[in-house]
Amino acid sequence: METIALVGNPNSGKTTLFNAVTGANQKTGNYPGVTVTRVSGVFHTPHGHKFELLDLPGCYSLSPQAPDERITRDVLLGDQEGSELPSAVVCVVDASNLERHLYLVLQVIDLGLPVVVALNKVDLAEKSGLRINVELLSEELGLPVVPCQANKGKGVLDLKHALRRPFPQSASRKWQAGKHTESAISHLISKLEEHGTGNPEAHAIHLLADTEYRTTEQPGIDRVVRQDAMDCSAKCIRAGSSPEEEISRSRTKWVQSICKVAARRQGSDGAVGGLTTSDKIDQVVLHPLCGWVVFIGLMFAVFWTIFSLSEYPMGWVELAIDAVSQSVSNTMPDGDVKDLVVDGIIAGVGSVVIFLPQILLLLFFIGLMETTGYMARAALLMDGLMSKVGLSGRAFLPLLSSYACAIPGIMATRSMNNAKERLLTILIAPWMSCTARLPVYSLLIGMLLAGQGAVIQALVLGGIYVLGTASALLAAWLLAPKVKGNEEASHFLMELPSYSIPDISYIFRHLVERGWSFIRKAGTVILGLCILLWALQTYPKPAEGSPAADDASLALEQSYMGQMGHAIEPVVKPLGYDWRTGTALIAAFAAREVFNANLAISYSVEEGDDEEKFLERLRGKLGNATWPDGSKVYTPLTTLSLLIFFVYALQCLPTTVVVRRETGSWKWAIGQLVGMTVVAWLAAFAVYQIGRLMV
Amino acid sequence: MISDIASDLKVDSAMTLSKARAGCKLRIRQLDGVECQRLREIGFCEELEISKLSNGRNMICSVCGTRLALSRKLGDQVLVEIV
Repeated sequence: METIALVGNPNSGKTTLFNAVTGANQKTGNYPGVTVTRVSGVFHTPHGHKFELLDLPGCYSLSPQAPDERITRDVLLGDQEGSELPSAVVCVVDASNLERHLYLVLQVIDLGLPVVVALNKVDLAEKSGLRINVELLSEELGLPVVPCQANKGKGVLDLKHALRRPFPQSASRKWQAGKHTESAISHLISKLEEHGTGNPEAHAIHLLADTEYRTTEQPGIDRVVRQDAMDCSAKCIRAGSSPEEEISRSRTKWVQSICKVAARRQGSDGAVGGLTTSDKIDQVVLHPLCGWVVFIGLMFAVFWTIFSLSEYPMGWVELAIDAVSQSVSNTMPDGDVKDLVVDGIIAGVGSVVIFLPQILLLLFFIGLMETTGYMARAALLMDGLMSKVGLSGRAFLPLLSSYACAIPGIMATRSMNNAKERLLTILIAPWMSCTARLPVYSLLIGMLLAGQGAVIQALVLGGIYVLGTASALLAAWLLAPKVKGNEEASHFLMELPSYSIPDISYIFRHLVERGWSFIRKAGTVILGLCILLWALQTYPKPAEGSPAADDASLALEQSYMGQMGHAIEPVVKPLGYDWRTGTALIAAFAAREVFNANLAISYSVEEGDDEEKFLERLRGKLGNATWPDGSKVYTPLTTLSLLIFFVYALQCLPTTVVVRRETGSWKWAIGQLVGMTVVAWLAAFAVYQIGRLMV
Repeated sequence: MISDIASDLKVDSAMTLSKARAGCKLRIRQLDGVECQRLREIGFCEELEISKLSNGRNMICSVCGTRLALSRKLGDQVLVEIV
């Protein structure tokens, strides 16, 4: 099947058009960088042709600044591994922003592929006083231009008509650079042809227009040709102008000339009749004082709603898991397989799936902030604070997502344009308290503040969130000089989309997609870990008739996991923990969610149908646990030390795997795991030992 | 040669976007600095008329009807004149 690529600036309505054409439930957002990976769907033209439509990440130009933009460039140049060169390109242009979006159209034309321009949001253009002569625009560009309104499905059929086979002929390059740059382009085309590189003109222009493309290794481009390009560039600079500067200047000049012919705007910069409604909202939302009041109020409301609302769906999920566990337990014969399914798989996977409501609620609020346009303002507001610790406002969205789960947070860093700031954000993201830590916090805070009111407990929980966040920002500040070296802070540059009414149906579709991907993760990675943990806790099995055969906690002590717990007791004893807690900590390194369940087995506490009653029983058992000398294991100091350990430790294997993938190196992934564990150990050690001196 | 002198004179009479007063309508005269390609790509092109809406650490400008936020350091690379 032939592939058609869909490209466009962020906020051009590209993903909405993708959904309208393919009928797929692809995520959309009113925030740059929503499409962080490429997604495809299938559609039929009225002529019966079937095509695959590839939704590429939004970008302002094909000289990428961020990893997601690089994907777009590489796919369009045919350099992306595992992806064939598309047969045609649909370039989505926001009609109300014609002058700004045509720059990318020119770059796409330069690729030499058949191009169709989808002139989206024509209604908004008209409203803003921009009159576009579509016929003239099409003539000037030399390619079909289809006016449409993707959000209402208007013009979608016309677009499909325009994509009939044979595709429209590819347009020729529109701009002309100075003679030195032009001769460099010709020279490089012949060199690339000699080396058998496909699409030589597009590659030649890229080699001269993009410094990063020229100076780093590229698949399919011989090093000799890159060296040639560097020589050509140096020659142009000696002659008075760099090729990058000249090419971008020539393109913008051409864009301006075409806009003069085909578009007429009332008001020079589109600000017809003074301030727009968005501007008026911004006067409050971005005000140096009111802006922060709105921001803090919103964040407080979001987290309060998550915690108070999620109780109900979490109860339903718990009931469902119990029902499954009960029915499997009743139908399966006793034995190892039943133990594995009920205690290992259902209990383990269930302990993860139970967080789904909280994650979905936070993602719902993030979706609301994105589609209304507030997220870009929050990033702008946070930029001042973030820059003090070596980050930029663009790190805000990834860090906020990390409160749900570090994995989507780390994935969201793909839209950050500074590689080192991106790395820094990835390194600190796991210190934003994710939902997986909540059941542990709930157990430990309940023990620490037994008898205190719910308000005090909620305040301590809030304090833990603040501690994690403050530590993450402090870590960023300490790590920034090491990670970024002498590099200057990146410059903040961001589009602030107009405020719009959130598209709830899209948010819900997105939630279904994210929820499903979370359940898939629970069904694969977590499932595997649960089986492994179960095996470590079950084998070697105690001999028939031995005391351990009737005593689950004794059997656990003799299992591989128990042996590991005893082995690490010297390491965890200075923190105040016994071997049982050590065992649960080892298990929690795979996924911190399993800590409570593991501790329950160690202390022979039956999991029941009511989570609160189970926690009560577990707290009671822990409170009574003693060292061989009769002193209590779980003193308030031990509990506090454990709480601190969980704030700082990176106990989540899937996160380490994702960090390895996103940073492309085990060095950072392992370094982060070891670093956070060491910090967690030191902090817990300090709390326990200093506390002992003081008590 | 004469055009170079004329261009220099134009630049001399221009000020940076960071220094321009909020609320002004401005015309971009020249981009000068390491980030000018990026600025052009997002919409700050020579000869374009823009409005500066707010000042601060990151200023907000209206470019072709879109609001763009940019840092002072980027604003220093945009030379403008009052329309």
